[in-house]
Amino acid sequence: MRVITDKPEVLAPAGTLEKLKVAIDYGADAVYIGGDAYGLRSRAGNFSFDQMREGVAYAQAHQAKVYVAANIVAHEGDTAGAGEFFRTLRDLGISAVIVSDPSLIEIAITEAPGLPVHLSTQASATNYETLNFWQAEGLERVVLAREVGIEEIKEMRRHTDVQIEAFIHGAMCIGYSGRCVLSNHMSMRDANRGGCAQNCRWKYDLFEMPANGEKQSQVENGEAFSMSAVDMAMIEHIPDLVEAGVNSFKIEGRMKSIHYVSTVANVYRQAVDSYCADPEHYVLKREWVDELWKVAQREMSTGFYYGTPTADDELFGKRRKRPQYGFVGEVLDYDAEHKVALVQQRNNFGVGDKIEFYGPNFTHTEQVVERLWDQDNDILYRAPDAMMICKLPVVQPVKAGDMIRKQR
Amino acid sequence: MINLIATAASQKQAQQLLAAGIDTLYIGEDYFGLRLPHSFERTELAEMVKLTHQAGKKITVAVNALMHNERISQVKDYLQFLADLKVDQVTVGDPGVVYVIQQAKLPLKFVYDSEVLMTSSRQINFWAQHGASGAVLAREVPYGELTTLTPELQIPAEMQVYGATCIHQSGRPLVHNYFNFVQEHQDRADRQRGLFVSAPHKPETHYSIYEDINGTHLFANNDLNLMTKLPELLALGLTDWKLDGLFAGETEFVAIAQQFVQAKQALTNDKWTAELAADLSMQVAAQQPANRGLDTGFYDIDPSEVQ
Repeated sequence: MRVITDKPEVLAPAGTLEKLKVAIDYGADAVYIGGDAYGLRSRAGNFSFDQMREGVAYAQAHQAKVYVAANIVAHEGDTAGAGEFFRTLRDLGISAVIVSDPSLIEIAITEAPGLPVHLSTQASATNYETLNFWQAEGLERVVLAREVGIEEIKEMRRHTDVQIEAFIHGAMCIGYSGRCVLSNHMSMRDANRGGCAQNCRWKYDLFEMPANGEKQSQVENGEAFSMSAVDMAMIEHIPDLVEAGVNSFKIEGRMKSIHYVSTVANVYRQAVDSYCADPEHYVLKREWVDELWKVAQREMSTGFYYGTPTADDELFGKRRKRPQYGFVGEVLDYDAEHKVALVQQRNNFGVGDKIEFYGPNFTHTEQVVERLWDQDNDILYRAPDAMMICKLPVVQPVKAGDMIRKQR
Repeated sequence: MINLIATAASQKQAQQLLAAGIDTLYIGEDYFGLRLPHSFERTELAEMVKLTHQAGKKITVAVNALMHNERISQVKDYLQFLADLKVDQVTVGDPGVVYVIQQAKLPLKFVYDSEVLMTSSRQINFWAQHGASGAVLAREVPYGELTTLTPELQIPAEMQVYGATCIHQSGRPLVHNYFNFVQEHQDRADRQRGLFVSAPHKPETHYSIYEDINGTHLFANNDLNLMTKLPELLALGLTDWKLDGLFAGETEFVAIAQQFVQAKQALTNDKWTAELAADLSMQVAAQQPANRGLDTGFYDIDPSEVQ
């Protein structure tokens, strides 16, 4: 029986230390984070060096890796201190930096030797010679442009042995990443230095200008022109990605919630392990797909993997109905004798609500909240206060670190 | 010293531009180059090289597309063809093309041009160390940054001084996708059709949009006209000035080029005055297509204004 031993890595986003730990608990082999400087997610809750140190310790204890995104396109003067920054990351035990700007790549390689460098998707690598170029520069890995298809990845594999990372899930740029300054020109915010205002998702008017005369709107049926991509989900195509030779499966979303990170990492962990353990008998499980829909923010598609995206891959018209789930809380402890879970509340819930527990290794149980107590065993009907600790009887065993959600 | 570079939309226009005093022509084929007024196939391109060299001028060929495998596999052959024609240089915007030039040791000078990404001296010098003989500065670099950037440069950097500024390239057919969604299928979304979008609640804005084999392209609200800034560029040592005629009328673009040639002569002969600058700038505006505004883009923006 065939078994794939060099499994691709499941790489999850971690906007905060808490999310880093959750992502690893829920199956991520590696996480990527942002530092205080040089990163594109200036609002993602970036890591101080102390937080990185703690994150690295946690990751190492769980055989996981931490990468740091330093993927801005620097303007004059922005790279001051970058060498020191990269050396600090290296000495903290960061496993790689994800960089886009050649000037920062050069600084990382020459001034922080020993720190592996990955090319960011922001550099839009779309062909094998580009991969060869960066490998010759000393890069360990290239994150492909999201415009690359499965067949193209296979072709790349025939021409290069550099590690290939590809996005498998999450929000997407509508354009070639990095090759977009809509935000600079429309909102005076630098898209390539963490300021992207997501102008592509605006509702525009579309006009035609005849040689003479007034401009004529081409907007039809009241539907505004937009350039808004639906999100990516490759859950139904894990075998293709593995067989194409992708080494790392990247999940987008350093700005996303714990609910999202835990759910998505959990699903892809299951799918990758399941496929690699027995490729010939692999079956896509419906519950994986359903699970991803519970944290979906938009409709989902396969991007460029199977051809150029059509109108179906953009957000036009009325939004499709999808299940709306809210994050309710996290299990802190479980009293097996009395079958009672100690829970930290994250969003209002209470008696009568139908809730779902889920945990690492894709455990799930559903139940109705029959009773609820506060820490002093006083009876509650709702748990309305942020982060309050409460207790509830459960029908199936749960464990610390399990999450709770409910359908809205 | 000053090198005026102009795009060409036809052989006829090329000859007029050369006669007007343009120093370098910038042309190419859509399959390998981005956002060109005309796609010159190989035979046409060979003729253009010949006529340019006969006029004692230089020619740069655009090989600055984002290459997918299918194109990168053909680019070596194309570059060899250009080297054989003895084109003076090519523009490149994909590291894979640099790799091909290096590996094949092609006798071809290249200018690195990844457009919006070319924002610092250190990055430009990176490409210099990888064999680039020049680089094209991003339009989003304001004067306030040029002053500290230019002294650090190891190779000449080119500035666009006239024409449209591309602000977005998508691999998706965004206009056709929209038309398909609203079930108003229209065949054309090409540049000649003159489509543009307006930002929400800003009906006065005008962002040109078109599709070609490189995807969908969007352009800034106004075209660039840095006529009045030329002495400052000269003082910074920036002397490679590009005029981009992508959206200009064919005859009008030659007239615009003439204004910049006059500016070059005045600057060279120490005859530059503020009055002349204002006059030349007005002449440029007079040749501008109807409904296309002009401004100085990011040039005068305070770097600290950009978040």
